[in-house]
Amino acid sequence: MDFKKILVDFLTSFLIVCNRSIGLILDPYKIMRKISLEKDYWQPGIIISLIFIYFKFIYYLREKMYPATFIYVSFIINFLLTIIFFYFLAKVLSKNKKEINFPSFLFTFSYSLLPTLIWFLSTSILFIFLPPPRTLSLLGKGFSVFFITYSLSLLAWKIILVYLAIRFSAKQNFFRIFYMVALYLSWFIPYSIFLYNFKLFRIPFI
Amino acid sequence: MRSVNLRLKRKMNEVFSIEPNELGVNFLTSHFKKLTAYLKVAPFIYIIPLTFILAIFLYFVLGRFLIKLVTVLQYGF
Repeated sequence: MDFKKILVDFLTSFLIVCNRSIGLILDPYKIMRKISLEKDYWQPGIIISLIFIYFKFIYYLREKMYPATFIYVSFIINFLLTIIFFYFLAKVLSKNKKEINFPSFLFTFSYSLLPTLIWFLSTSILFIFLPPPRTLSLLGKGFSVFFITYSLSLLAWKIILVYLAIRFSAKQNFFRIFYMVALYLSWFIPYSIFLYNFKLFRIPFI
Repeated sequence: MRSVNLRLKRKMNEVFSIEPNELGVNFLTSHFKKLTAYLKVAPFIYIIPLTFILAIFLYFVLGRFLIKLVTVLQYGF
């Protein structure tokens, strides 16, 4: 009986994740506002599990790589560090400290991982079908323009989702969000270089 | 009737969960609101053409470097 309930809860949450993923493409503002008030912990669980599957998948593609579980644990640490940083900063900056709650950060930042996951997954699939290096032929140039367009589009979507995640969780205005992100980058960029030196992430997964 | 009121109250709480964005200067605030209105609903309608133009521009500016950048990015996963 309990297993049946868990299965139903899981499938319902999975459908909600699919629905909201499409919603974040079509109507990011409204959907992120709904996500910030969410209480179903299956949803971030599903997104984070999909990321684990992704790390397992690329383990077979990359050479001289750390075990997928190790990379995944380091990703979880990055992710938690990011959420905790913004949560405490929001607590410090907010006038009404009671309205700042940790689950809101967890839900919104989990959904903001979707563009990252899509970019990394599609790049690894392209690596199989169209392996680098790119050439200076017409097709090579055409693909390069397409790939840059695709990457910049996903980057723009990521920036929108991260902005909305901070906006609805930290409940701050544009300038404060800008300062918060600047503060975040001041430690995250050196931290990313540190991870790069240890060959953990060539591009930070966050 | 009571359930309708409750749903309306919940919706109002959701909509007013954050204060409106004020940038301090009316000119800035109005332009910010006009710009962000395009990004709130179906942002890809504007993002894809803009990024395509930007990619073409980068190709003409950077040339071979852009091709190398794509190669590096393809190893980046």
